[in-house]
This record gives sequence, C-alpha cells and structure tokens, in this order.
Amino acid sequence: MLRLGYDERAAALLVFPVVAVLLVVAAFPILYSFWISLHDVVLTRPLRRPFVGLDNYLRVFADERFWIAVARTTVYTVVTVAATTVLAVLVALLLNEAFPGQRLLNALLLLPWATPSVVNGLMWKWIYDPSYGLLNGLLVQLGVLERYRAWLGDPDLTLLLIANAAVWKQMPLAALLLIVTMKAIPEDLYRAAKVDGAGTFRRFLHVTLPALRPGLMLVLVYETMISIRHFDLFLIMTQGGPGDASFTLSWFIYVETFRSLRFGTGAALSYILAMATFLLSYLFIRFLGRRL
Amino acid sequence: MSGAEDRRAPPPGRAAARRPVAPRLGRGLLLAAFSLLFVLYVAGPVAWLVSSSLQTEAQATAVPPNWLPPEPTLANFEAIFRAGERVVTYETRRQGDPATGGFLPTGAQNLLPSLRNSLVVGLWVAALNLLLSLTAAYAIAVIDFRGRRATLYTVLATRVIPDIALVVPLFLVIRALGLINSLAALVVTYLAVTVPFTIFILISYFEGIPRDLYRAARVDGCGHWGALRQVYLPLSLPALVAALTFAFLTSWNEFVFALVLTQNVEAQTLPIVISGFVMDFTTSFSFVNAAGVIAIVPPVLLAVLFQRYIVSGLTAGAVKG
Repeated sequence: MLRLGYDERAAALLVFPVVAVLLVVAAFPILYSFWISLHDVVLTRPLRRPFVGLDNYLRVFADERFWIAVARTTVYTVVTVAATTVLAVLVALLLNEAFPGQRLLNALLLLPWATPSVVNGLMWKWIYDPSYGLLNGLLVQLGVLERYRAWLGDPDLTLLLIANAAVWKQMPLAALLLIVTMKAIPEDLYRAAKVDGAGTFRRFLHVTLPALRPGLMLVLVYETMISIRHFDLFLIMTQGGPGDASFTLSWFIYVETFRSLRFGTGAALSYILAMATFLLSYLFIRFLGRRL
Repeated sequence: MSGAEDRRAPPPGRAAARRPVAPRLGRGLLLAAFSLLFVLYVAGPVAWLVSSSLQTEAQATAVPPNWLPPEPTLANFEAIFRAGERVVTYETRRQGDPATGGFLPTGAQNLLPSLRNSLVVGLWVAALNLLLSLTAAYAIAVIDFRGRRATLYTVLATRVIPDIALVVPLFLVIRALGLINSLAALVVTYLAVTVPFTIFILISYFEGIPRDLYRAARVDGCGHWGALRQVYLPLSLPALVAALTFAFLTSWNEFVFALVLTQNVEAQTLPIVISGFVMDFTTSFSFVNAAGVIAIVPPVLLAVLFQRYIVSGLTAGAVKG
C-alpha cells in the first residue's frame, strides 16, 4: 500500500510542473522519434506510413553519404576537441596567474561564450570572405599571400576553418572549468616539487597536469558531445559544401529531414548520432577516466 | 604561465619581495606577451565585426581592408531601425541607402520584429524556467521522498540527447498541437532545454545551505512552501541570477529549434533573420555586420554585468565531478 506523508505530497506537487513539461517536449519526442525511425514516414505522403522495422537503419548504413558524413564529423570533432582543450589549458594557465589586468582578461573571456552561434558564423564567414575578408587582407599585407583566395571554398581547409570558429566560441567554458580545477591544487605540491629541484616545465608536467585530470575529463566529454552534434556553423558557413567537404552527420540529418522530407531515415540518423554520443562519453569516462 | 609561479602568486607583495629581479622581469614580459595574444584572439574578431559595422559598404569592402572605420558612421544601424518604413523589392533594393551600397537584404524589415520576438521569448523563458526549476530543485535537494534520485536522473538525462535528434519529433509534436510558428512553441521548447541545467545549478547551491536553517523554519511552523520562500529563496540570490541569465542567453542564442519551428516574421527570432541575411548573396556586408552587433550586445551586457554569478554557476559541480 502506498502511503503518502506530507513530505511526499509536497514533493510530488513541487516536482510535477517540471516533469510535465519535460514529458511533453523531451521524453515523448525521444520515444516518438524511435517510432518514426521504424516507419517509412515521408512528409509528401502523409497518410501512408508503413512499418518497416530496421529498414531505415539499414538504408542509412548502405548509403555512402552516411560514411562520408561519419568521416567529416570525426575529423571536425577530433580537431575541435583537441584544439579547444590545448588552448583552454594555455588560457587557464595564464588566467590562473595573479597580475595587473588579470580581472579584465577574465571578463573578456566571456565574450566568445556570450556570442550567439549565428553571429559567430557570420563573423568568421566575413573574416574568411574571398573578396573582402580580413584574413586575406592581413596575409596579403604581411606578404604571406600573393593574392586573395577563397578560404571556405577550399575543400581541404573548410572543416578546419569551421572548427576554428567553433573553438573560438567553445574555449572559454573549457578554460573556466580548468581554472576552477587549478585553483583546487594544494600549494604544498608545488613547494615539494621545487624542493626536489623540479623546473617550471617539470612542475607543470608532474604536478599541474595530473591534478587537472578531473577538469580535463569533463572538458573532453563535454566538448566531444558538443562537437559531434554541432549544426549551426555548418548551415551558416558552408551548407555542407564545397561539394561534400563539410557534409557532417548533423547536416545530413537536416538535409534528409527538412529538404528531402524523409522523416523516417532522418529519425534513424538522429538515433544513430545519439547512440554514438552516448557510447563515446561512456568510453571516455570508462577508459580515459582511469588513465588520463 | 607556469603552474609553479601561480601558486605563489596570491600574496603578491611578499612573494615578489623574496624573488630576484631578473626572473620577475622575465615573468612580467611573458605574462604581457601572452595577455596580448589572448586579447587579440578573444576580442579581435568581435572588434573587426564592430569596426566594419561602423563603415559604409564601400569602406568595408575596400582592398586592403580598413582596419578602423575611416569616418565612423551609424548609417547601417539607422538603416536597420528604418527598414520597416520602406518596401524592398527586386527593383528598389539597388537604389536604397547609399551607405549600405544599396543592397538591403529582402528581409531587412523583419529585423526589428525579430528582435522583439527574441526579447519576449527570452524573458518568458527566463521567468518560467526559474519558477519551474525552483520548486523542483527544492524538492529534490531538501525533501527526502521516494523516487528522488530517479527524478533527478530523468531530468538530467533529457539533456544527453542531441538537439538535432529532438528536432524531428518535436517538429511533429508541435505541429500536431497547432503551435508551429508561435512564440509559445519556442518558449516551451527552450524550457525543456534550460530547465535541467537550472535544476542542476540550484540543487548544488541548495545543498550548500545549512540544514539547521531548514529545521528551524520547520520547527517554527513553516511548511515546505514557507521554507522555500523564507529560507532558500532569499539565500540563493546568486544562483537565481545565474539561472535567469543562462536561460535568457540560451533562448536568445538558440538556432536549430527556432529554424525548424518558425516560418515567418510572426515568430522568427533574431538568429533566424540574421542567418537569412548571411545566406543571401546580394547582401550588404556592413548591414549584416551591424545586425550581428545588435544581436551580440544584450548577451555581452548580461555577461559583463553578472560575470561573477555566471562563472560560479557554470563551474558549479565541476569541482565535485
């Protein structure tokens, strides 16, 4: 028999609104999405949506565009996560120092974080602009480049340039998380290392880096999850192009769903991406968590 | 830059006195150099955006580029605030304002309404997000009830699913509810996006409030509602400010859901209208950059104003983790 005391009635009442909202706009869509992925849903043919089992998944795996998208997403994610992490460590080391103006730099760190991703995309697209962009202007003025070139139009560079824009926006949060972890390192460890004759670099390698492990862990998992599903910059900067140079999984989902209107395969793709994200974060925590 | 030096840094006076002059000078130069690089990297792109928004189209598209506006002009911003007064058609767009090179994007007059939509949605999301999360976080952090952990994990788990994976079913759900192209659809969606994080922040804050205060309130005859209002609410102001700011910023910056759930000026938010400009070939660069600057101002102001709360909110739980 279920008896509810005052505490439990109050808790139920206080929690109910949130649970209701999340059920409608999060839990239900997640389950519904799975149902859609098992049916052949095409929006141009709304009345007939036969059950097809795992056909949508099989169709996706047989599609060569899927494997291109996997490759592009992998490159983009690896580059973005690696660059964000390295840069964040450097920035955290700088901002963890006490020096005049350090507070100002701390405030400045929030600038990229607060910038809307659409503006971020527009800003970098403008910097990379083939005819008037600042990157061309700068490199030509410095004599590095002879004439203006179409940066985003170069299939070999597109992903890296988009990654650069993403890193600019994502680095601050990563740096903040690392700074918090650094502040928690006991000072004695550095004194002891110094007594043992360790130089600046060795102290970083043997004291700072190991103590940074939980922070780095968090940054790696979080940045991977953000990057693997990133969408905004791809729509604004390249729309998957040139050719298929920036054809990532999230862009594939968007094209399949809202341009081809094949909701069934779109949902299957979404599920594959969600599962991959889950699996990756799990693996990170399971294996890297111990060794890092 | 070294880990060792920053440990000694907090009492600068004493530490500096003990150290010889040469390394101190070296350290200063190193810090200055890295600070300069940092400022260039973080602020440079935005400075260029602002600079080119203050130039006429001809100046902004000059080769080599004008790093600073030769004659700063607000013409682009004026064009944005005047856009509603003119009708832009294929024939008239070329002869528009000379300051913008005559190429006003076709959607220029949607900019101000979308700014209003973004504000309305952001304020609703911030307010409702706080109301919903506050009660739930209190219950989970303070009351010991059956299913407490399960509730917490369920709430947090909804955020592990990528947004792009939610877009398809959410579009169908919202369409079935007849809410496509409405601000309400955006508000509800953004609540689902922001509430789990707010609950997380508030719980970690509530758990730091001494349990004795809660017991005292209960002994004095307060119910849970009373304890929430008279003990937890006044004590957690910093966390509330952080939560409000995050919710507003998330909703202000959000793109994918707004792209799919809105169709026209009735409900489109600022990022959607701006992304439309960016993908329009004939767009005036200086005009679009000015629109970008307008979109950047509110979040940056909030970030500067509430810097301390934001940082502590963002890093809440990171240490425990």
